[in-house]
Amino acid sequence: MNAVACELCPRGCVIPEGGAGDCRIRVNLAGKLRATTYGRPSAIHVDPMEKKPLYHFRPGSPVFSVATAGCNLHCLNCQNWQLSQRGGEEMEQIYRADPAQLVETARREGCQAIAYTYSDPVVFYEYAYDSAELARRHGLSNLFITAAYIRPAPLRRLCGVIDAANVDLKAFDDGFYRRVSSATLQPVLDALVLMREEGLWVEVTNLLIPTLNDDLAMIRRMATWIRDELGAQTPLHFSRFHPQYRMRNLPPTPAATLDRARREAMDSGLDYVYVGNVMGHEGSSTFCPVDGTLLIRRTGFWVTENNLTAEGRCPECDEPIPGVWK
Amino acid sequence: MMKPKRNDNPSRERRRFLGLLGGGLAAGASLALLPREEGPRERDLREADLYRPHPLAG
Repeated sequence: MNAVACELCPRGCVIPEGGAGDCRIRVNLAGKLRATTYGRPSAIHVDPMEKKPLYHFRPGSPVFSVATAGCNLHCLNCQNWQLSQRGGEEMEQIYRADPAQLVETARREGCQAIAYTYSDPVVFYEYAYDSAELARRHGLSNLFITAAYIRPAPLRRLCGVIDAANVDLKAFDDGFYRRVSSATLQPVLDALVLMREEGLWVEVTNLLIPTLNDDLAMIRRMATWIRDELGAQTPLHFSRFHPQYRMRNLPPTPAATLDRARREAMDSGLDYVYVGNVMGHEGSSTFCPVDGTLLIRRTGFWVTENNLTAEGRCPECDEPIPGVWK
Repeated sequence: MMKPKRNDNPSRERRRFLGLLGGGLAAGASLALLPREEGPRERDLREADLYRPHPLAG
């Protein structure tokens, strides 16, 4: 048999000829590794930047968002399972869109950035890489919205064409990763550190699931790790869980749990801690960590007030606020 | 007084009904066996409704 080893993600699938890897879309065709969804996305939308969420990267701007089928994680609570837990051939529709068409359409729609998102862009790595390289040549930014379950070598190469990432850190517990996401924690932490070293703008999202990963001691360990390894100015988003897919036995995250988590993370030394998936929550706005001035007010996915100076500083105390504002 | 018209051959009606039923079943079976288009519908990128509300996270 002419098997091939996929060296993209920590799973390290060895794929027999004619077979597919765990992600369903990376296949062995006549002894060569191919991604079946290259140039064949199944989801394309123009979203607000706040939806990714990236709160410190060109707030309020539209993002051309693209995804193909497939994922290298299998989270029981996946919100996008109809896209992520299928192979390309199982989708109802796919678009013909090579990298040049993607970039051309993004520019035509007035988007300054392309986000590789929804499923996990790690599995359509080659498509994302080629599109990002071309997009950058045309002055567009590239955003990677990912669980970051990827090996260091391909990630380092990818960082050469990506500007910002939101990494879904599912829990600060390897057991949770194994039970809920069929993955492991350490490669994700390694990827986060590598992204920071390579100079990407990084934000972290943690979906809080009642009873599974909402323990305050675990949240404190996670926040402390982010502060020490990525920096106190790394934005952390606590996102509200809704019953989905194969996890319908748990209730939505109570607002009080999100509040407690936010307070714990801020007490642990993080400057920018947000609450997501809760309409109108104060924790979705940006405040100056020095004097508490409201800098950016958000309602849902929309920026309704922006008081940052043109240089990205607090208008009251002149504190520089980290991020990409222009 | 006229007598009601009688069906001289009741088995003829039955045969007609069974014939129609058999024909319908045969047509259904043929349609089921006809080759259908497999896999996803391929669309041009220009057909995408980029601003349609959607439930996808991220």
